[in-house]
Amino acid sequence: MQSEQLIQSLIEQTRQIINRVEALKSYDLETLTWRAQEDAWSILECIEHLNRYGDDYLPSIERAIKASNTQAEQTFKSGFLGGYFAKSMLPKEKLNKMKTFNDKNPLHASLDRSVIDTFMHQQTQLLDLLNQSRTVSLNKVKIPTTFSSLIKMKLGDLFQFLVNHMLRHLAQIDRVKAMGLSSVG
Amino acid sequence: MKEIIALSDKTITISRNAFLKVKGSIDTNVYYVESGSLRIFILHDYEEQIIRFGYQGNIIVAMDSFLTGKPSNFYIQALKKTTVRVIPKQRLDEFLATASNRKWWIQVLENLVLQQMEREIDLLTLSPRERYERVLQRSPQLFQEIPGKYIANYLRMSAETLSRLKKS
Repeated sequence: MQSEQLIQSLIEQTRQIINRVEALKSYDLETLTWRAQEDAWSILECIEHLNRYGDDYLPSIERAIKASNTQAEQTFKSGFLGGYFAKSMLPKEKLNKMKTFNDKNPLHASLDRSVIDTFMHQQTQLLDLLNQSRTVSLNKVKIPTTFSSLIKMKLGDLFQFLVNHMLRHLAQIDRVKAMGLSSVG
Repeated sequence: MKEIIALSDKTITISRNAFLKVKGSIDTNVYYVESGSLRIFILHDYEEQIIRFGYQGNIIVAMDSFLTGKPSNFYIQALKKTTVRVIPKQRLDEFLATASNRKWWIQVLENLVLQQMEREIDLLTLSPRERYERVLQRSPQLFQEIPGKYIANYLRMSAETLSRLKKS
């Protein structure tokens, strides 16, 4: 894939994600914190979960881009594992549940609407990093994953992973919202 | 203007606060605002600085991308529910293949240069009152269409200063 094409597609997906989350601001706290059952996430918990990923990865992406003396490359080729991780995040037609890591599980954390502002702030950072990544190699810049420092992901794959991960939980938010609205009435 | 709008191949409606364009995208479209209002702004260290507004009947465009085909740092955001007609650059280019259309286009661009010069003088004017009065005289409708806090940012003054100037 052309590197520039990938970056543009990621920026466009980020724009759509921002707009979907922006629209959540119009819902009351009751809807935003409603959960289907004791062990299911509310809308705010889904967002907080995404924020925790952003807290981990955005600073390491920034460091890696700053430290890199690679050049931009015409094409980007997904890594074997990285490409797999990124794809596995995409929401599927049929619900495919995944286990999360304990430190990324915000279940019953005390949350308020400010998690949405934090999310928006992270998207601004993400857009900045996508822009900065135009000057480096999306192939050669590699970032250690949070689950194992031995496993690194190519910058291009990590960006796609983060975006797909957001899409996954936005699909979840849509489901929680639909259930919540019909039950809150 | 009618001829330009006729070049549009789709209509987009976005809700309040939604983004039509974000930083880093390449957007060579021209947008005609059918209803609603938008702002173009840049972020400097997370501080917003508004560059321009668009409301019903206006054309709005990320001019840098439009001219160069390169990424633009501008954000374009709806201030209320907004409907725009999308005119792709390619359609406009085809339209401008005709000499008489090109003549019209040069007028549009000349007009834009004059507007940009006025804006440059605004920005170099030290007195907040003078900045306010220049814009009020030039675009009185702006004050009907756009909430004060955004106009204050555009004028590079606090919302309090603007509301004080409006009263006096």
